[in-house]
Amino acid sequence: MSDLEQSIADWRRQMLAAGIKSPVPLEELEIHLRDEIEREKKSGLDEPTAFQAAVQQIGKANMLNNEFEKVDGIKEFGAWRLIQIILFAGLGVISLFITACVIFKLGSFSEISSSQQMSGLTAVAVMILLAGGGYLGHGFFPIILNKRMRDVICLSSGVLMVIWWAVFFNIILPRFAFTTSQLGATLLWGFAAPFGAFAGFVAGLGKAWRKNSTMASS
Amino acid sequence: MHSVAMIRKELVAASAEPLVLSLLSKGESYGYAIIQEVKARSEGRLNWTDGMLYPVLHRMEHRGLIKSRWGESETGRKRKYYSLKKDGKLAMEKHHEHWTLVHGVLSGLKKEHYV
Repeated sequence: MSDLEQSIADWRRQMLAAGIKSPVPLEELEIHLRDEIEREKKSGLDEPTAFQAAVQQIGKANMLNNEFEKVDGIKEFGAWRLIQIILFAGLGVISLFITACVIFKLGSFSEISSSQQMSGLTAVAVMILLAGGGYLGHGFFPIILNKRMRDVICLSSGVLMVIWWAVFFNIILPRFAFTTSQLGATLLWGFAAPFGAFAGFVAGLGKAWRKNSTMASS
Repeated sequence: MHSVAMIRKELVAASAEPLVLSLLSKGESYGYAIIQEVKARSEGRLNWTDGMLYPVLHRMEHRGLIKSRWGESETGRKRKYYSLKKDGKLAMEKHHEHWTLVHGVLSGLKKEHYV
């Protein structure tokens, strides 16, 4: 390997270490570096000096990585947002379905009493308040800039919710001999209200970060 | 985009997108050529830190303003070529409108100043 190729290989390693991804955008940057080295050589510089000049011109690895991370953030934000919308819409529809059954005494819920209806509706109100409150109260959430950390926290809260659902459906519900009508309100408390807490938490955390990143990039 | 010389970095950053869009409206190009042309046209006063162009290009591509393809130069070197999309053309026209407005206001004020 020539000295220049060795220097370029070292430069690539520094870029990778700073977090620049390969092949894109590292390959594109390397092509640029080679073009610039060629131009510097044509202008009369020797190879090592041309390499140093080109490296300086292309910019510091950390600075470049910060900019690329912002672009990745925008892309991931789009995909993550879609997943959130699908997930929340799906769970929201299930909660609404149970709510409709309770309100309109549909199907097995025809025997439901008005106090049970009220209890069920309170659970739905709690769900909406928790979800909306989390979103609107994003100012109270910490701003977690590290995406992986944010994902881990959101995922953990999702896992906690699923564990609660598993315990609720498999352990708590079978212990009580609920009539179908009692089941409606209980379901809303056990299923929908925790979902509201989860939705509010994820929405608040996301909004807190988004608000901060919008301000940072403006 | 960071300036190392004459023009303030904020202005260099703000002008990056309209400049890239306007250059690409003449036909497809690649990062290195875009930078060289901007430097030549500004007589070196718009001096970008070269690498910073790529996040700008990638962001514009993600926003659907430009598209890219891998190709080869005449010398056989692999290159990523960027070209303008329809939305990019619209964005460019908007930029021209806004910059012309700012320029017009500034020129008008300057004239009044010297009257």
